[in-house]
Amino acid sequence: MKKKSKMKAIKMKGFPWILPAFIFVLGIIYYSIFYTFDLSTLNWNGLDPIREPAGLSNFTKMFKDPIFWKAIKNTVIYFVFTFVIQNFLGFVFAAILHSKVKLGTIHKCLIFIPTILAPATMAPVFRLMFSPQGILQKIFDFFHTGVTVDWLSKSNLALFVLMFVAIWEFTGMSFILYYAAMSQIDKEMLEASHLDGAGNLRTLFSMVLPNCKGTTVSLLMLGIIGALKTFDIPYLITTGGPNHATEFLGTYIYRQGIRQSHLGYAAAMSVILLILAIVGAILTNRFNKEEK
Amino acid sequence: MKKKLVSILLVAAMSVTLLAGCGSNGSSTKKVKDNSTATKGEIVWWGWTPGSPANEEYVKAFNKEYPDIKVTWKQTTVDDYDATIKPALANGKGVDAFQVSPGSANGGVQVFGGQAIDLTPAVKEALGDDYKDKINPDSITTMTVNGKLKALGVGFAYAGSVWINQDLFDKYNVKVPTNMDEWVAACKTFKSHGINGFVQGAGQGAFNMDTFHAICDNVEPGLFQKATKGKADWTDKSFVKALQLWRELFTNGVMQKGALGIQQYPEANNLFMSQKSAMIMMGSWYTYNTLPANMKAAMESASSTAKPFTMIPVNFPDIAGTGNVGSMFGDLDYSTAISATSKNIKAATTFATWLGASKSGQQMIANALNVVPSLKGVTPNWDEVKLVNPAKQNEPVKEYYENAMKTVDNSRFAYINADMNQAMMDVLSGVAGGSISPKDGAAQLKSAQEESN
Repeated sequence: MKKKSKMKAIKMKGFPWILPAFIFVLGIIYYSIFYTFDLSTLNWNGLDPIREPAGLSNFTKMFKDPIFWKAIKNTVIYFVFTFVIQNFLGFVFAAILHSKVKLGTIHKCLIFIPTILAPATMAPVFRLMFSPQGILQKIFDFFHTGVTVDWLSKSNLALFVLMFVAIWEFTGMSFILYYAAMSQIDKEMLEASHLDGAGNLRTLFSMVLPNCKGTTVSLLMLGIIGALKTFDIPYLITTGGPNHATEFLGTYIYRQGIRQSHLGYAAAMSVILLILAIVGAILTNRFNKEEK
Repeated sequence: MKKKLVSILLVAAMSVTLLAGCGSNGSSTKKVKDNSTATKGEIVWWGWTPGSPANEEYVKAFNKEYPDIKVTWKQTTVDDYDATIKPALANGKGVDAFQVSPGSANGGVQVFGGQAIDLTPAVKEALGDDYKDKINPDSITTMTVNGKLKALGVGFAYAGSVWINQDLFDKYNVKVPTNMDEWVAACKTFKSHGINGFVQGAGQGAFNMDTFHAICDNVEPGLFQKATKGKADWTDKSFVKALQLWRELFTNGVMQKGALGIQQYPEANNLFMSQKSAMIMMGSWYTYNTLPANMKAAMESASSTAKPFTMIPVNFPDIAGTGNVGSMFGDLDYSTAISATSKNIKAATTFATWLGASKSGQQMIANALNVVPSLKGVTPNWDEVKLVNPAKQNEPVKEYYENAMKTVDNSRFAYINADMNQAMMDVLSGVAGGSISPKDGAAQLKSAQEESN
């Protein structure tokens, strides 16, 4: 009883300390959200003194816009591929590094380093790498393969290049979370499964993977929100091209809001993006609860 | 109970922010006190071109005449300019003078002009009541919004020509192409020596529009300009033909492989400046690189430590076989606008008029060879301008400059709004990649023009 009241006292004492940041963050985030709602009902370039009311016309225009749907399609494809591959790789790397691997710390660093590198720094490297003047082309030429590395210029391939970059960059994050989750698994349980005759792979996928479910769900939620927010990698590498082949909601919102000064239309898409992110988070959460 | 109280407070806070959001007007231009005079003040000048150190040199020259006006040049990249200046102008702080340009180009005056003062009285004071006769008419027409002169033109940029590396042409004994067959042959020869013949960053749409405009002028001069003004149909057979020729460039070996995946800046520019490519589609702004110091800097940016080379402008090849060559098109590259919320309006106006309407300012602009001056009668002082290879460059560069000055009624972006600009970039990219047929592309341009009007 005493312990409880002590905890309560500590909590109450701590509250004033976080209050300024709490108000600040709340003010900024919620203000921005409601302001975006307001903007989505306007025809406005962001500077003009006259803000013309547009009702819901920005939303109806959006649902008829083929590029908006292309951006949604790209987001879904991007999410499915990147989520599956980067989490599979992250899980496998984590499992391998939990066994006795030589120079384990170096391997961990090598896997995690791409995650901390800013996409803005890496984008020019990838642009060059995937161009006919880049290192990949030189390697293909060396082996006389006849392959031309002009994939960023091909509508059907550019998206896959971006997915490769995303997987390269974010596998480290999946790895580190799975690695931490695996550290929490009771070793006796794994030993018991071995005693029952389960091999390494069986143990990995029947014992370890289910015990990392919480991590997988968290990564799923992060993956959905991350895919919806995708901006830096496509903007910096392909600027959404060629011919919108790598357009995402983020890049299209930027294009409409900044380049074409249709701030209201961009805000309407931002509202939909927010709704999709919230729905994604709720569904993931519900799925997790039902499984439990 | 406490939880309830917290919830009520949160809802109240959210409601207040909601109302604040609904009621705010981010665009209001408040009247502010001008702390400066025509000869004294501190101003911040925002822009994207021509870039350091040229802008600082302009400021230095300005300060020789106006030592008490401190000018700070704030540069952004071309792509980031609109995104950066918009909130700065909406906020009303930290921007005194800023660059704008006509139509759908960067910093479009139709969008940003709303935040600028009317410069008519200033230009009248600088040049007299007959000021319209003293400056290029496009400086007035394309910078006037709702009857007010929102910015003062500094210089014009023209495109339509191809820049070549004459040293590479000489070294490999290649004939400068004048038609499609010669162009293909030249590219093939360069390729056999491990060099790109022609390079274009077709991933950056604005430069595709230049090439397409040049093709259109080759097919039927003046039609492109008419269509942008709504006086010609985009589905005209000449446009379909021009789109076919545009597509052909990507299949016959003229465009380098992967052209759609690279940007004109930096990649294509770097390939040309590092002499890995012999030809590039650039405009009059590229003349700047014919000056040894500028070329050295550009080459170093492209990771080349070689000696400056001889680059010269040549006519866009007659790929349609019509004989219509030598077309140039252009408009104001940039103008100077003064923020209505600046606290240094008088000093900023002095700077804008000096840069765009004074003989000394415009002479300096002319000599920099970056843009063609707005003030009539000002040309580069060729005796003072020393090019990399005067023997080979002086004549063609001079002739190029004179042709540019003669260009009338053939704009780059002035009559193309942002939506039409995007539509054109999409069509050109789609036709180049083969996902849109030339006929469908022309139809898309027509419907985009109708929608954007």
